[in-house]
Amino acid sequence: MTNTSTINAASTADRGPPAWTRWLDLGDRALAVVLLAPAAILLALIIVYPVLRLGYTSFFSLSLTSGLPAEFVGLENYSLMLDDPVFWETTWNTVLITLITVPGALLVGLALALLANLPFGVQWPVRLSLLIPWALPLSFAGLIFAWFFHSEYGVVNDVLMRLGFEGIIWFNSPNWAFAAICLTIIWKTSSFMALIILAGLQTIPRSLYEAADVDGAGRIRQFFEITLPLLKPSIVVALIFRTITALQTFDIPYMMTGGGPGTSTATLAMYIHQNTVSFLDLGYGSALAVVMFALSMCVTAVYLRAIRTKE
Amino acid sequence: MSAVAASGFSGLFSGRPLRLLAGAVLIVNGMFPALWILFTSLKTEAELTAKPITWIPHAPTFANYMQAFSDQPLHLFLFNSFMVALLSTCLTLFISVLAAYALARLNLRYRGLILSLIIAVSTFPLVTLLVPLFEIMRTLNLLNTWIALVLPYTVLSLPVCTLMLVSFFEGIPRDLENAAMIDGCTRMGALFKVVVPLCAPGVFTAGILAFVNAWDEFLLALSFNSNPSLRTLPVGIQLYQGEFAFPWPVISAALVVGIVPVAVLIVIFQERVVSGLTAGGIKG
Repeated sequence: MTNTSTINAASTADRGPPAWTRWLDLGDRALAVVLLAPAAILLALIIVYPVLRLGYTSFFSLSLTSGLPAEFVGLENYSLMLDDPVFWETTWNTVLITLITVPGALLVGLALALLANLPFGVQWPVRLSLLIPWALPLSFAGLIFAWFFHSEYGVVNDVLMRLGFEGIIWFNSPNWAFAAICLTIIWKTSSFMALIILAGLQTIPRSLYEAADVDGAGRIRQFFEITLPLLKPSIVVALIFRTITALQTFDIPYMMTGGGPGTSTATLAMYIHQNTVSFLDLGYGSALAVVMFALSMCVTAVYLRAIRTKE
Repeated sequence: MSAVAASGFSGLFSGRPLRLLAGAVLIVNGMFPALWILFTSLKTEAELTAKPITWIPHAPTFANYMQAFSDQPLHLFLFNSFMVALLSTCLTLFISVLAAYALARLNLRYRGLILSLIIAVSTFPLVTLLVPLFEIMRTLNLLNTWIALVLPYTVLSLPVCTLMLVSFFEGIPRDLENAAMIDGCTRMGALFKVVVPLCAPGVFTAGILAFVNAWDEFLLALSFNSNPSLRTLPVGIQLYQGEFAFPWPVISAALVVGIVPVAVLIVIFQERVVSGLTAGGIKG
């Protein structure tokens, strides 16, 4: 870098730019500050200050509907939370959705990636069919699949009945509603997994498989001893991102069931939204958000460690 | 995409018919939901409620599209979504080009720390900031404005775009920039006249990702902009549901209208989008 600075200095001395632009010819340090400032200001406004404010508000009783001024209540919001069955239910649902859809999306994504990696003559239809589910808004996917699982006119029940099964009234029972939500999330997120895994697959040199063929290793063994270990880095990254987004699940259950029947399919994000936007109970909403924040920070910490060990 | 390496798995599917089957599975999985919505949007109410249900519409009609635009201000939803996505994309690109240049070209003492911070921000659950952001936007009188969404959406895409652009900038030879500076360019001049044009494909890809992120976002849009004329598409689309009625053909028509713009982007720039998604940063 000193290299560039000397050339830079030299050029200024010889036949430098017009004087009025010289104020931009700062040293590396000052220039870095100028260039990083917009990002820093935005992050300070949208992340750092709100995070501090979130922690602060969670110690207050602040309900906009009551019209009362904010009152410091210490840990009361948190102790209310511990006694709140809906908090436990929505947290459990969120964890369950994460535990089901993350491995589910990984398995489906792996299968899709292996299929997409076959030597097709034309690549674009395959690529496109992995990109469309990724680009489809989550909320649209929720609506589309609510229509899929419609008890009377839905295509899922139509197929079930053509196969000789009974149709299922998906959204009347907590378990079936939950299953429909998980299937939708897996469909929506597996394509992205597949794209990441596919990129990993395409970096594995063919010669490894040829060598394994010579050594007499079967296809299955090649998959477990060459493909999977070499895919591990890309899978780890994709898994962690998926876990963090799964903890924030909102759009799909909101669109498909609205959390019902009852609160049996509501997630923590939906409960935060309800307390904040519908009940305007900002103190309690903040305390709930602190819990979710802590959950995802744990996953982020694991992620940063995984990346560091990769390097 | 061209250098297709064989996996152990592909041996099972080496025959042509099996390969076609694999392709069919992929295409049905990816396209069927969108196709089904398209079919539904072309059906009449009578055909929709006929039993057994029909798959391909017998008498396709565009009436549902007319109704989608007349029942709700769908054109406003589209316009709001488009403007919010466009503004946040521009802001994201501007901010991340500057930051990425600093990270790729200047010898920063805390470069590693800053990069870790950016990665941490990329996994940040924006949902948890619903309360404080709601309060901030309320205090600043920004609820029911585009800005209330543009700022958070910019943060949503900033980390991915910055990481992507850092790797693009690192691929541009420094000599080109030095040459420009010897020819009398300032450093910023060299950035915008030499580096950015050379990175145009990368900048463009980052832009598409930022646009799609913003186009898709639902929770903040739902929470901050309740004014009917400022709703974005994902929020507005719920309004078609009456208390008891669920006009699926009209909802489907509105969904198709909402899918088309992004689908066109994806179809045209698919290769770039894939390389951007898998190379730069990852956010699903």
